Amino acid sequence: MTANVVFVGWSHHGAPLDLRERLVFTPERSREALEGLFRERILSEGAIVSTCNRAEVYGLSDREDGAAAVACFLSDFQAIDAAVLRDTAFSGRGEPAVRHLFRVASGLDSMVLGEAQILGQIREAHRRASEARTARAVTNRLFQSALECGKRVRSETALGQRPTSVAGVALSLTGRIFESLAGRRVLLVGAGETIELTASLLVEQGVAAADVLFTNRSADKAEALAARSGGCAIPWEERFRALAEVDVALSATAATEPVMRAADVAKALRRVRRRGPLLVLDLAVPRDFDTGVDDLPDVYRYDLDALQGIAARNTAERRSEVPRAEAIVDESVTAFLAWLASLSHVDVVRGLREKLESARREELGRYAGKLQRLSPEDQKVVERLTETLVAKILHEPTIGLKEGDASDRLARAAAVRALFRLEGGE
Amino acid sequence: MGGFVGAAGSTTAAVFGALALVAYALSAAFYVAHLRTPRPLVGKAATTFVILGAACNLEALYARSVALHSVPYRDLLGSMALLGFFLAVLNVVLELRHHDRSLGPFLMPVVLVLLVLALELPVSRAAAPRPELRGSVFALHVTLNMLGYAAYAVSCALAVLYLAVGRSLKKRGRALDGAASRLPSLGYLERASRTSLGVGVVASAIGFGLGIYWASHVWYEKNPAWALDPKVWAAFLILGFYAVTLVRAHRGASPVTTARLVIAGFALVVFSYTAVNLFLTRLHSFT
Repeated sequence: MTANVVFVGWSHHGAPLDLRERLVFTPERSREALEGLFRERILSEGAIVSTCNRAEVYGLSDREDGAAAVACFLSDFQAIDAAVLRDTAFSGRGEPAVRHLFRVASGLDSMVLGEAQILGQIREAHRRASEARTARAVTNRLFQSALECGKRVRSETALGQRPTSVAGVALSLTGRIFESLAGRRVLLVGAGETIELTASLLVEQGVAAADVLFTNRSADKAEALAARSGGCAIPWEERFRALAEVDVALSATAATEPVMRAADVAKALRRVRRRGPLLVLDLAVPRDFDTGVDDLPDVYRYDLDALQGIAARNTAERRSEVPRAEAIVDESVTAFLAWLASLSHVDVVRGLREKLESARREELGRYAGKLQRLSPEDQKVVERLTETLVAKILHEPTIGLKEGDASDRLARAAAVRALFRLEGGE
Repeated sequence: MGGFVGAAGSTTAAVFGALALVAYALSAAFYVAHLRTPRPLVGKAATTFVILGAACNLEALYARSVALHSVPYRDLLGSMALLGFFLAVLNVVLELRHHDRSLGPFLMPVVLVLLVLALELPVSRAAAPRPELRGSVFALHVTLNMLGYAAYAVSCALAVLYLAVGRSLKKRGRALDGAASRLPSLGYLERASRTSLGVGVVASAIGFGLGIYWASHVWYEKNPAWALDPKVWAAFLILGFYAVTLVRAHRGASPVTTARLVIAGFALVVFSYTAVNLFLTRLHSFT
């Protein structure tokens, strides 16, 4: 029965960006695609996971060529050359399909190992499929198990705990120094793209736009940046005074020599009564801040080397967690496959038969005293009567469990297991 | 364990003292486990046991007070048990206020040591307390001063953590490594240390004022030179030192310097609590 679970997908591993862009499924397109896959009887249930790095279809199919048929359908649906899709696709059937989704949910297949956004995207894919009524017993269980697996990996390993990008490390450092960025004042030194991007990132993180100060040798550039972001431009000569009044200073100029000398910084900090630590993020190469500022007690300076070093070590630490994460994926896959196997027609009918047979024997046992008063012939009649009753009760469900497509059969099997509380269903 | 039995042989005090000890030990173990691997259930267990420990500690102090017919902290044993109680309570207050459990792993072992030492100390054999050591003004004076000591201890612990985290952050490329990376932000540690210092200064100031009032009424005939007692001067020095440190911190002094001053001030507290109480003072020695 596991062979019915199929997936086909395109991701950053094999599909170029321009192809991934064409494969993006909006909620509406996702619904249309799933409805089309149903209409064409390629899938009997399923869902589409669509992110900037992947487009993957998971579902239940009776067809041996289920994955290829999905790819063929999507070629028409998205108007993409079938050969291109075929050459860049990766697919699986049965256990590999299940394992792939669980690895994706755990962040093990992500471009940034252990990233957490994918969990929300999988949850969203399941929600969309539920709305389109294409998520049924197996898809529901598959996606719920994948989400649980992803959560376990995140809570039981350090796979997604530490930032691995320079921007993430910088934000993490602000979290180690300040309780929150709300209410903090920031000085941005320079006027390049990095400075502009940082300004918008800081505002996103809770810094008030008016608390972002810009300074640059060319005052007009600083003023233009300030005007665009709602911040405040200050003259280049005032940068040391401003430094003493802010909590975070980020510098990214193209200067060939330090523009923030330690002696001037120390003098400015001494002159102005300030409170709290000063975080200095020096992203310029060569550096804008003199390394001598490290000796000032309340100044915490990080240059690009330091930030990249932290990011690299965090990446290595995440990699070292992969075996533990894979072990959790193994456990989750095994549990899901056991549940799926328990829905096989033979197993469910056998379980149901054993349950009814056990009930029959129990009831005969309860009345054993009274039955003994009957003649041996009459006792045989009662025995046969109850056996026939059980067989008649089992007849319709046994046929019903074989009817319909794979999804119908599995949904009924799951319902029977749940209703009769048959063992092995969980 | 006999220490808590007290002069009058209160077994209630002994039982609750032992229960407090067990609860504090479990709490300390859970706090340390929570620091190593944060888990909500472990954290809640730590908080629950420290609250249970404080409740048992308070009951032990009360039972001891009843048995002694006096305040329970007229000797070193009771004084340490009270200090442990205040430290535990301040730990819970800070935890609930700031939603952070990082102080517990450092504070609860200290509470545990205080309780163990208190239980090992010889019992005061004074048959009855001196009459002048009765009354609510005296009781409040001692209680508030002990609360002040506990608050200074908490502030000092937070200042030590501040310096440790700051030192770790100065390692630049390794700023997010090591145990310090699991501690709270510098901002939180500085604010919590200042809050605790504020509590200490206010409690000590009121306690000191009540002490002056009490002494000027009770000792004016018997000990007219009470103001020259080393304990009075030590208390005044500590209060002045911490009040100035607090004002400086509020006016924007360097947090690193403030943390160092808080730690230095606590050395004075320890000196006052041990050397002055045990060897230098006559009027403030334990009975």
